Amino acid sequence: MLNVVFYFQVHQPYRLRHLNVLDIGTGTNLFDDRLNAEVMRKVSNKCYLPTNQLLLDLIKENEGRFRIAYSITGTAIEQFKLYSPETLDSFKALAETGCVEFLGETYYHSLAALYDTNEFLDQVMMHRQLIIDEFGQQPRTFRNTELIYQDRISDLVYEIEGFTTIITEGVDRILQWRSPLFAYKNYSKDINLLLKYYKLSDDIAFRFSNRDWPEYPLTVDKFVNWIDHLTLGEKGDRNLFLNLFMDYETFGEHQWAESGIFDFMRHFPSEVLKRPHLGFVTPAETQALANYQQESLSFPDAVSWADEQRDLSAWVENDMQKNAIETFYELLERVKTKGDPQLLKTARMLSTSDHFYYMCTKYFQDGDVHKYFSPYDSPDQAYIYYVNALADLEERI
Amino acid sequence: MKILMFTWEFPPLISGGLGMACYGMVKALLALGIKIDLVLPTREMVYFPLREEEDVDKMPAVFMDPVHHSEFLTKSFQDITERLEYIGITPTPETYFQLSDMRHFISKVKSEYLINEHVSQEEHDIWDDMTTHLIGEEDLIKKVQEYTQRAERFARELDYNLIHVHDWLTYPSGMLARKISGKPLISHIHATEFDRAGGPGDERIHKIEHAGMTYSDRVIAVSQYTAQMIMSRYRIDTGKIRIVHNAFSIEENQVHTKKRIFKGPTVLFLGRITLQKGPDYYLDVAERVLKVHPEARFIMAGTGDMARKLLRRSAQLKLKNRFLFTGFLNRKQVESILRAADIYVLPSVSEPFGISPLEAMAFGITSIISKQSGVAEVVNHAFKIDYWDVDLMADTINHLIENPQICKKMGIDGMKEVNRIHWNEAAEKIRMIYSQVLSEFLKSNP
Repeated sequence: MLNVVFYFQVHQPYRLRHLNVLDIGTGTNLFDDRLNAEVMRKVSNKCYLPTNQLLLDLIKENEGRFRIAYSITGTAIEQFKLYSPETLDSFKALAETGCVEFLGETYYHSLAALYDTNEFLDQVMMHRQLIIDEFGQQPRTFRNTELIYQDRISDLVYEIEGFTTIITEGVDRILQWRSPLFAYKNYSKDINLLLKYYKLSDDIAFRFSNRDWPEYPLTVDKFVNWIDHLTLGEKGDRNLFLNLFMDYETFGEHQWAESGIFDFMRHFPSEVLKRPHLGFVTPAETQALANYQQESLSFPDAVSWADEQRDLSAWVENDMQKNAIETFYELLERVKTKGDPQLLKTARMLSTSDHFYYMCTKYFQDGDVHKYFSPYDSPDQAYIYYVNALADLEERI
Repeated sequence: MKILMFTWEFPPLISGGLGMACYGMVKALLALGIKIDLVLPTREMVYFPLREEEDVDKMPAVFMDPVHHSEFLTKSFQDITERLEYIGITPTPETYFQLSDMRHFISKVKSEYLINEHVSQEEHDIWDDMTTHLIGEEDLIKKVQEYTQRAERFARELDYNLIHVHDWLTYPSGMLARKISGKPLISHIHATEFDRAGGPGDERIHKIEHAGMTYSDRVIAVSQYTAQMIMSRYRIDTGKIRIVHNAFSIEENQVHTKKRIFKGPTVLFLGRITLQKGPDYYLDVAERVLKVHPEARFIMAGTGDMARKLLRRSAQLKLKNRFLFTGFLNRKQVESILRAADIYVLPSVSEPFGISPLEAMAFGITSIISKQSGVAEVVNHAFKIDYWDVDLMADTINHLIENPQICKKMGIDGMKEVNRIHWNEAAEKIRMIYSQVLSEFLKSNP
């Protein structure tokens, strides 16, 4: 049996104001509330609200056989409460169906796993409590920011009570000849590991509306046919997992409604469920279904789901990114020593990985996805605003 | 005494020290009773008849073709800025001038003004130097061509005793006016191409600078440093050169109270982020100081073609959040940043004068200025260090950080000193030069 595992990432950062040196020490708000409200309302209307309604209908129609998972960051949930409470309510309605799993991650969508173990554990615990409070379930599956993963991270997650599964990218250089359709174990064989099937995930997330793509337009028939073919080589009755992981904003935001993405999603579950050998499960349900010896995989170096390289280069490659993030974690230590909860909250809002993503210079000339997602004119500007924010933070200590 | 003055910058049309210097100088000359007709790179064919001291702020304007611009005389403007915008004073003047227009103009000038038997071979050579090098498709060169062509009418139709021009952009106009009117020409050197480029620079501009200075009756240099430069690099006759240091006028009753941004000692670079100003040396100094005093903050205020490179390098050197870039600052923001600084650094590679340190000193900021600057000749209460001696600059800053009372005293002494520097002394020297040139002129043209 082949089970489709859907996981959608829901995240909104607190974008910074265009901070000038002269703003430092004036007690000014570091964040662009107006822009953040505007983005949240726009994305809620184009994506979160219509997609949640659609998926809720599909779950009800399919009577428990259509199952999905979300990872929603703390910064997104906070901003739902501020700017779009109806969106949070619609996620709660999904939680109540019993067919939706909510994953655990760092509250601030941060890179703390790479820089500050204690901070990482703190943010994971904060996020876990938030999910319990908002959705009434304790996360059992962990997904780190941007699917960043390495062996060391599985050790940390294993220490936290309740996590049995971690999801990450199905990176070729790790998998080599292996298939991402199996459930694996981490290097020390104590945690269940699911790997994103990036080709089929990206067909929906990135290529769906691309008219230059030979497979355009992507129909449900075509896509389910591909899925059917994945199982051809599988003779026994082993349970396989097709991990379709993507940003939730794919629906209606990255792929506009006019592209037909909602129609695709409306008809996809029933087409899958017509076939007796296909089904849907959530990430935490996979471990019990893995009816075979799970091979363990070692990730000595960090991987992620970003860009061609699928490494950390989107966030911490150039000098600006490195100086910014190293300075941040140094300051965070001092903020914690000071013991002012409001200041710590502000500092943590600066830990969100997006701030470093905006400083990426990899493909800036080509105007690629980094530029699409950045609220600033250039990586240099993003860096200037961020470093000014850190200078302000330090004056507040 | 009436002067026909050509300059490229004058507030609010300003991009650097030239405009500030012209403003202070003209205001002080008007106070001495000297009348000035000022010509700027405006879009419309206008000049500014300045008669009273207050005129530098009112900027009365006269069209050369008033009939065609009767609207201007009757139209009511909200304020000076709006009126000046109407006559085309914009930060970036536009030009519709074609290269063929310039060729035509040059041949016309030659056939009209350079034909009689009194024109020497030497004079022909100077003109050839100017005209053959004022050629190019760059916006700036085209604007200078347009400005020069217009100068002909001002030179013919206005009434004046002397011509005074500021920097190479206006030298061709000055030469033309001198040729047409036969009146003496004074060229004022605020910066040469060597200073601006921080290296050899543009050959065409050297030739125009050389032609303009050679054709002048007097050359005024803003410092000994600049006088040395025009003697050694341009071989200008030493007897014609006069030195008049720039000054700095503080608005009366202005009190600059400190308003800190950072708790730690704050060091400031303020100026264009270009090779000439030595911003890369400033970064090197910052790196050295921050190793000893991580509590210090270095601000780099301004914009320029090296900003991106230095930003990246400051990150590479891991200067954390201790080296900060402001980007462009307006006048009010400049004052705010000055109020927040303790130590000012001017590491210019070549600075003919440099008004910015005087302004910093007026705010009571202890200043470290490059020895390769004119301003170093006029102040005593500042540290003067070779721009390349980053170790000494770093040691000096460390010393000031470790001895705040010395830093404070130096700042106060510097403030007192700057308060004694006035444009009226500079204007008095310029008036003497005017008089001398005029009396020589009258003697030789009885």
